[in-house]
Amino acid sequence: MKASAVNPLVLLGFVIISSILLLALLAPIISPYDPDAIDVKAILLSPSTQHLMGTDGLGRDVFSRMLYGARISLMVGFVAVGISTVIGIVLGALAGFYRGWVDTIVMRVVDIMLSIPTFFLILAVIAFLTPSIWNIMIVIGLTSWMGVTRLVRAEFLSLRNREFVLAAQTLGAKDNRLIFTHLLPNSLTPIIVSSILGIASAVLIESGLSFLGLGVQAPQASWGNILTDGKEYIQFAWWLSLFPGLAILITVLGYNLLGDGLRDAYNPKSGQH
Amino acid sequence: MHFCHFKKIALLALLSTCLTACGDGSANKENAAQINYNINYPSSNGGTLIEATTGEPSGLIAMIAGESAASAIAGNIFNSLLKYDKDLELTGELVESWDISEDQKTITFHLKPNLKWADNQALTSEDVLFTWQKVTDEKTRTPYGSDYKLVIKAETPDLNTFRVSYAAPYAPALETWASLHILPKHLLKDQDINSTAFARNPVGSHYYKLDKWKNGQYLKLTRNENATQGQAKIDHLLSRIIPDKAAQFLELSADNIDLMGLNPIQYARIFPARPDLNNKIALYKELGNSYTYLGFNLKRKPFDDIRVRQAINYAINKQEIIDGVLLGLGEPVASPYKPGTRWSNPELKPYPYDPSKAKALLKAAGYKDHDNDGILDKDGKPFHFEILTNQNKEREMTGVLIQRRLKEIGIDANIRVLEWASFLGRFIKPKEFDVVVLGWSLSLDPDQYSIWHSSQQAPGQFNFISYNNTRVDKLLEAGRLELDPDKRMKIYHEFSKVLLEESPIVYLSAGYGLTAIHKRVKGISKPAPPAGIGHNTYEWYIPKAYSRNEMSEH
Repeated sequence: MKASAVNPLVLLGFVIISSILLLALLAPIISPYDPDAIDVKAILLSPSTQHLMGTDGLGRDVFSRMLYGARISLMVGFVAVGISTVIGIVLGALAGFYRGWVDTIVMRVVDIMLSIPTFFLILAVIAFLTPSIWNIMIVIGLTSWMGVTRLVRAEFLSLRNREFVLAAQTLGAKDNRLIFTHLLPNSLTPIIVSSILGIASAVLIESGLSFLGLGVQAPQASWGNILTDGKEYIQFAWWLSLFPGLAILITVLGYNLLGDGLRDAYNPKSGQH
Repeated sequence: MHFCHFKKIALLALLSTCLTACGDGSANKENAAQINYNINYPSSNGGTLIEATTGEPSGLIAMIAGESAASAIAGNIFNSLLKYDKDLELTGELVESWDISEDQKTITFHLKPNLKWADNQALTSEDVLFTWQKVTDEKTRTPYGSDYKLVIKAETPDLNTFRVSYAAPYAPALETWASLHILPKHLLKDQDINSTAFARNPVGSHYYKLDKWKNGQYLKLTRNENATQGQAKIDHLLSRIIPDKAAQFLELSADNIDLMGLNPIQYARIFPARPDLNNKIALYKELGNSYTYLGFNLKRKPFDDIRVRQAINYAINKQEIIDGVLLGLGEPVASPYKPGTRWSNPELKPYPYDPSKAKALLKAAGYKDHDNDGILDKDGKPFHFEILTNQNKEREMTGVLIQRRLKEIGIDANIRVLEWASFLGRFIKPKEFDVVVLGWSLSLDPDQYSIWHSSQQAPGQFNFISYNNTRVDKLLEAGRLELDPDKRMKIYHEFSKVLLEESPIVYLSAGYGLTAIHKRVKGISKPAPPAGIGHNTYEWYIPKAYSRNEMSEH
């Protein structure tokens, strides 16, 4: 804990993420306009005191849409990573704890999944489903659990033969007690770190899908589809591309700083230099 | 040799600024902005016109390829028997004249004498007969066969005469012969027309012939010395394939292309803010060839109820769509015909925006907000449906505007945007949709049998909204048989009136066709005649002083 308090980058990451969270939570209160309110008389206005981030091609207030878009981005991040972490923990724990043929099967499935480029896999699956925020979260979650699985398995393999585990086993502890009270709590740190980094990539994937028109559907705002709308006007309406682009950049940066910082703080080896 | 020459020019340009300022052929790009493009040089031959096209044709046999990119380029290579002149009247292209028999069932075409293909072979009525056989052949995969299958007998009394007979008088008959590209029998007779290499290496009879086709990059056409219609002024037409409109626009600003279609934003927002572009590029605005509509699946409840359809029509603010999506660059329509033409009924007016009338109609149809959630319901079910459209920014924005207006009167609609192939295959053909936002073209002939007649509802046919009205069926049938233009006009005016009343679709807007052409291109008609500025491309010319430095190309 001491290390993270000193490291200014972790602090920065924490501040970024918590302010975005706060903005997203308070979106209905902060938003100066209804994010879907159309005004064809106020199309593509540049940023001003009335419209902090200007207006889009249908005269909607970009600032309000950005705030509501933040909700989508954060929600996708948390839910998708929640799904992938749960799957990853279960499979990784099974493989690492039982080893043998269970391990072989799980790890081969991981290898197969990893051999397919994730983004294209997601594109292919989404093409068959109705694009919606829920489907996207589920699909991202179901296609990004492999890293967590490997991590958990590695932790379990190394912890499995440690004295405290053997001691518990000798005392007659059942498998699930071993897994849930001894092994899992001791592998949590890397899982948390990888989840935080995973949120960053989920945010990027959602933005990418929405940018391609396969993500969140109009008129709902997401940073990705504000960015797509901006593409058409990029030559003269810079605000439509700049703000969502920056928001994605800053959010991903925030998660990465936080994740990297936490990893360093909790890793005794990296603390030495 | 060339290289030395180029060096010399560069040197001269360095020594004397006058040379480049005078704007002769050696003017380089940095000086392009200073060239005065308003000098009226006399018409001359030569030069290259570079245009941007969004899609690459799949082939250049228009009846097989089907897509607009193909027919646009193939239209410079192939001729039809007839064509529309600048006032949209039918006139001969390959034919000198035509006679219609007393009983109105037989048309005899007299070909112009001494017609030649680009490879110097004679073009005769045998080629026309061959083309007709191909377009009506069951083995030919073309969507355009049905009009020509109405011909019960086609014959060639001699090499300059082609005669077709119909079972009954068919009013749109002549028009169909203005859109069928005549193909060379001597090159295609032993080929499978669906897969022949001829599609990528065509031989036609029009102003240009294909010179080079570089996949994914460009198609280069060169003047056809054997052209049947006389010689075009411009030597080469280069169609560059640039899928993205924004990228096309950058190329236009950089002087790398001469002609492109603009979207409303480029036309109304970017151009006025760029005086440098206004010096070298001219803009053209014409009434476009299509309209956007909201179509109901009439097989689904509650769209079978005319009150519901009319209510939605009243609830949509068309002017808002024209202002918001087209930035004012469009017109409302009240019939499927170009406003101002003879077929368009001047008495018809679009449904005004009137939400209270919409609410009253819905109430009459049994819709009421029983549970006070802001959404109307009937029999315990909320009024909810899905607006389907394809990946087209303008249609998507139109959908968002409509959704907003419907919400105000208590209808909950969501929008779904799909890629074109799955849109057609999974939703339109099996009729798995509630409401679509799509476009139809505003055709020159008034016959719209294939869109509205109740017999045209099979999967893949055009009446996919399942419109079925006996009065309309009768009018469409009568319109096909009537050859007297005035009587025919009355029939189609009546047809449009029923259609507007019944509201199977909501007419949304007809956008203008917006074109940007570099000012180096001269000879363009202004103001544009009814047929549009493209009617006389063969008379366009690029004065020597304005033509590109050919060496800097590619």
